[in-house]
Amino acid sequence: MKFGGTSVATLPRWQNILELVATRRAEGARVLVVVSALSGITDALKQLCAQEDKGKRIEAAKAIAQRHYDLLDHMQLAVPDALGTKLGELAKLADEGPAALGELAWAALIQAHGELLSSTLGAAFLSHSGLPTQWVDARECLAAVALPNQNERTKLLSAMVEAKPDPALNLRLAKQGDVFITQGFIARESQGRTVLLGRGGSDTSASYFGALLKAQRVEIWTDVAGMFTANPRQVPGARLLQRLDYEEAQEIASTGAKVLHPRCLSPLREPRVPMLIKDTNRPELEGTVIGPEVREHAPSVKAISARKGLTLVSMESVGMWQQVGFLADVFAQFKQHGLSVDLIGSAETNVTVSLDPTENLLDSDAIAALASDLAKVCRVKVIAPCAAITLVGRGMRSMLHTLSGVLAEFGQLRVHMISQSSNNLNLTFVVDENVVDDLLPLLHELLIAAGALRTDDSALFGPSWQALYGSGEVPVPAASWWRTTERQRLLELGAKATPRYVYHLPTVRQQARDLKTLAAVDRLHYAVKANTHPAILKALAEEGFGFECVSPGEMKAVMAAVPESAPLLFTPNFAPREDYAWALTTRATVSLDSLYPLEHWGELFRGREIVLRVDLGRGLGHHEKVRTGGSGSKFGLPVELVDTFLKLADGHGVIVRGLHAHLGSGILDDSHWGEVYSQLASLAERIGSVAFIDIGGGLGVPSHPGEARLDIAALDRVLREVKAAYPHYKLWMEPGRYLVADAGVLLTRVTQQKGKSALRYLGVDTGMNSLIRPALYEAWHEIVNLSRLDEPATGLFQVVGPICESGDVLGTDRRLPEPQEGDVMLIAQAGAYGKVMSSPYNMRDEAEEIIIE
Amino acid sequence: MQECAPCSDPHVGAGTIRSDRVTTTIQPRLTQVFRFVRCSYANGVAELVYAFDHGEELIETVRFPNAPALPASHKAAFDRALKLLHLIAGVSYYKAGVPPKIDVADGPLDNATADLLDALYLHGLAEFAYRNGLDLRGRVAFPHGGAAQPQASALNLPRRTLVPIGGGKDSLVAVEAIKSIGGEATAVWVGNSNLIASCAERTGLPTLNIQRELAPQLFDLNRIGAWNGHIPVTAVNSAILAVAAILYGYDSIAFANERSASAATLEYEGQLVNHQWSKGYTFEQLLGDWLHTQVAADLDYCSLLRPYSELAITRTFAKLTPYFDAFSSCNRNFKILGPKPADRWCGQCPKCHFVFLALAPFLSKPRLLQIFGRNLLDDDGQAAGFDALLEYQDHKPFECVGEGAEARAAMYALSQRPEWQEDALIARFRSEILPQLNVADLALEPWLEPSAEHRIPARLQHALAFFA
Repeated sequence: MKFGGTSVATLPRWQNILELVATRRAEGARVLVVVSALSGITDALKQLCAQEDKGKRIEAAKAIAQRHYDLLDHMQLAVPDALGTKLGELAKLADEGPAALGELAWAALIQAHGELLSSTLGAAFLSHSGLPTQWVDARECLAAVALPNQNERTKLLSAMVEAKPDPALNLRLAKQGDVFITQGFIARESQGRTVLLGRGGSDTSASYFGALLKAQRVEIWTDVAGMFTANPRQVPGARLLQRLDYEEAQEIASTGAKVLHPRCLSPLREPRVPMLIKDTNRPELEGTVIGPEVREHAPSVKAISARKGLTLVSMESVGMWQQVGFLADVFAQFKQHGLSVDLIGSAETNVTVSLDPTENLLDSDAIAALASDLAKVCRVKVIAPCAAITLVGRGMRSMLHTLSGVLAEFGQLRVHMISQSSNNLNLTFVVDENVVDDLLPLLHELLIAAGALRTDDSALFGPSWQALYGSGEVPVPAASWWRTTERQRLLELGAKATPRYVYHLPTVRQQARDLKTLAAVDRLHYAVKANTHPAILKALAEEGFGFECVSPGEMKAVMAAVPESAPLLFTPNFAPREDYAWALTTRATVSLDSLYPLEHWGELFRGREIVLRVDLGRGLGHHEKVRTGGSGSKFGLPVELVDTFLKLADGHGVIVRGLHAHLGSGILDDSHWGEVYSQLASLAERIGSVAFIDIGGGLGVPSHPGEARLDIAALDRVLREVKAAYPHYKLWMEPGRYLVADAGVLLTRVTQQKGKSALRYLGVDTGMNSLIRPALYEAWHEIVNLSRLDEPATGLFQVVGPICESGDVLGTDRRLPEPQEGDVMLIAQAGAYGKVMSSPYNMRDEAEEIIIE
Repeated sequence: MQECAPCSDPHVGAGTIRSDRVTTTIQPRLTQVFRFVRCSYANGVAELVYAFDHGEELIETVRFPNAPALPASHKAAFDRALKLLHLIAGVSYYKAGVPPKIDVADGPLDNATADLLDALYLHGLAEFAYRNGLDLRGRVAFPHGGAAQPQASALNLPRRTLVPIGGGKDSLVAVEAIKSIGGEATAVWVGNSNLIASCAERTGLPTLNIQRELAPQLFDLNRIGAWNGHIPVTAVNSAILAVAAILYGYDSIAFANERSASAATLEYEGQLVNHQWSKGYTFEQLLGDWLHTQVAADLDYCSLLRPYSELAITRTFAKLTPYFDAFSSCNRNFKILGPKPADRWCGQCPKCHFVFLALAPFLSKPRLLQIFGRNLLDDDGQAAGFDALLEYQDHKPFECVGEGAEARAAMYALSQRPEWQEDALIARFRSEILPQLNVADLALEPWLEPSAEHRIPARLQHALAFFA
């Protein structure tokens, strides 16, 4: 069990250690505790070493002694003799200075005292607290080996230990007792001098001891529950990784995770000792287990990380093709200009390398000088600022097919370099740095949605960081209506006939009221394309919503269902002239999103007020097909054509009263609307006539278990901030799916099963004819066996419908109870884009719709 | 005073305009008379009142924070400065209707003042007129023939300087130049801008934030079809600072308008159109002389950067590392600031293009790209924007950017550097544009030489050593 500096700095933390060690003892384990120095002591010792003045060194040693006396005081312990001796040695070293031992050996010995002191103090505390604890000198156990590429400094200050299982050590310790404490960070070399293990040294010590003793496991106790699927600061929805193999963990640690130093895993690999990372403050959390490769799981991407500030140097020349020594010469230039190379990608005539951001790179002419020298032998291109996005997971190459959605995302970007190592653990994309902050959470989502990051496998993935550590604002989602109050009614409905859509109006109303708490929004329109059932339209009209329609058909359906007073928006795309002509006879506010209508049918619009839908140049959303911004999308007028549009409008006496943009669907990041809003508002300032800004909809509805909901309060804060800057514009929104998705379910019944090699297919009586989202968008819908909701989910199934299409799959790799023919299955979140997108394909009966008031 | 935000009006203090007003019935484009009704000042608040025909009064307010009491000896000077502010700030309202007649309620102006205003309204609105297809020649006519004003005396103003801050590189260079000679100065800006406020804070100087609130009816006029477009906002700000200088006691107002601000953007039916006319030397001379003769003989109005080209200024700015993550010259006029480069630089507008290009010869490439967060010169989509800067196949943009020849010199310098050569737009420049140019005209060095033309008072001239 290893505890870091903050874990050993105070009495309460030591009491915590005592409790944890006692628990392990009670489980029958013999325990070796590895400790760091008290927090801040290693730095203080380093400063002591750098101090040339003897008096000041002695002062520093005294201050360090005092820290330990204070802690002992809190523990109500007298100063143990062993501690007194070590403090005496430290004072002596400080007094003598480096002359006798030599600078480096002296410094190493002084710094080693941090751990020597903390472990001695710990032994006293634990023994005194009723847990007899033997102090072990790590230097007696860990022998540093000399490596050919080491100089004196690395030999003494970042030493390596070859840790092979040593039964003799086991025997020796067994004779002494059951609980031991020793030092992290230090070892001894062949001449008997004390050496240090360098950065991450204490974790590495724990691993060395784990290997030497062939321990049951190594436990690293720290301030977080383990490794996550992404940096939680960038992706709050990052999930705890519960199982990793050594290589994966090492790769994740080296591409960004700070919790573990990458070098501390290799000692454990050969003796196959597992490592467990645990949160000292939350020992009840599962933590991360790192062990030998786990075979019984489908391959999955485990983590995604990003490193920013990279500069790429791309070198192009036929000269390198089959030329001996070309690369050696090129790399010599990097060395000469003091630039260290990280990633390398190569083709027959091109080599591209990445450089990490250093002061030398940013503020000297190193890159200009390097480019000048390289230009003599090849064409050089300096590309920056870049970021490396790395996906980590065993067997990456075998997962490429699941990454299509993720790769499509890269398709919109400039990818400068892709690197994939032969160990098949990672896939790295180097892209422009400015896309990373938005991209990373999106890719994390896409990896989950694509089934590449199998968060539905609870054996591998734990809760999200947000759920574990997020601020208290994350509301615990209420159990779904279909799981609780209405379950029995749904079972009865399903028993009578299937397929059936069932809509729960109280949920629609609740979602509507949630959105009405957005104080900054002046008017909400329901995007009726999501679900045009008259009862839903009526309910939302009662909640004061307006209605956004995209066709005369939708308009007529709405006008038939809602009162005259409800505002209407007509926002079609590529609609024919007669649609506009008709819409202009109604009360609807009409929007335009191209030049064509004004160029060719300008007279139709003369004297009218319209809304202009612009394309701000980029799209967002959960799938390429729901993205409605960016030049790859057919929606919106490109910003650069706005002036032309305004001239045309002026010419026909058309007044642009509103500006509208809508970038996509399923967006869960609240800051996104703030950006759209402020961009539209600053555009509106160039157009005198604008009175309102319509920032569209696309409010995301999380589909996966544990995924964070859109934070409406945070969204409101973002919107109010923008509104304060542009108070003269009314703010409109057009939510659709947010209002109705969770309110609807699709009921279907099990018809049969089929096994095909390892796969099990579970057939139900409807499929893509009723719900096309899984096939069209790779959308993930929760699927449960409503008849057996309380039975354990033991099987892994592909849930498929009866349509003659191989794409007729409602859910892949779902863990479900063993089904029986006739069981009622429920497909959740089917209230939006379900029935409205259904088709008579294969001439199967259409699903009827039932309303629960 | 956002450095060259697109200077149409709603940007300035737009935060105070209400949209729920009763719509006025006036048709702005059909009005006959623009009237300067009255102006007044009390307790730090100036009210500037205008009207079209006999319509509703349009009242603009300018708020001077913590205004001291005005000494009687400064009263006459203050009133003259306030009067000029009234006349100059009227340009925002006048342009809504551009009626054929201008009327000043308290009688015709002396000829010097009327000439100044005729010039300002004609040239300062030239871009506005060009874009709206109007011709203001013969239409702008302030009433002349009033009594000549007595020569103003010296007021013994304190020897300190108002330095307007815009959030861009130029004013920060001016600040540092004055700091380099230990000059006493205050960073001043008009209106709300987080960007400017954070830059002003980084200068370490005392700050003064003057608020300007446009008449709310102007927004209504815009909604019912007023003419809209660029106004000479630097002239309005200059007039506000002249009032402030008398009120708070400063002997100099040092703008950061560079040499190229005097260059016209284009010529249109025989009239030169300069987007930056009120940042140009002609206006500086007109206003500087007018203040000397009509307000206070010891109030100097100048631009500290007048002798320099944009390139000389960017070279100096390239040494001011502490401002790199705070400044922005982008004209997207970000009201909401975030920590990322993209929150300060849109990367699409001529200002972003120009500042990127002008800084590039003087900073390491990775550092420059870190400031902007992307490489604008390696983006094919920006070709048209850079072409306009180079005046290649296009006229110079309507923005406060350097001269075409200056941009060409910077581009040429980059095209000779291996670390830039292969970037998309540099490669394009080398293959497509450079062969049409005379390399002898493309040297960077001549641009770094100062010119002798400026009005910097003796007290501040040592500060020019900062640019050496």
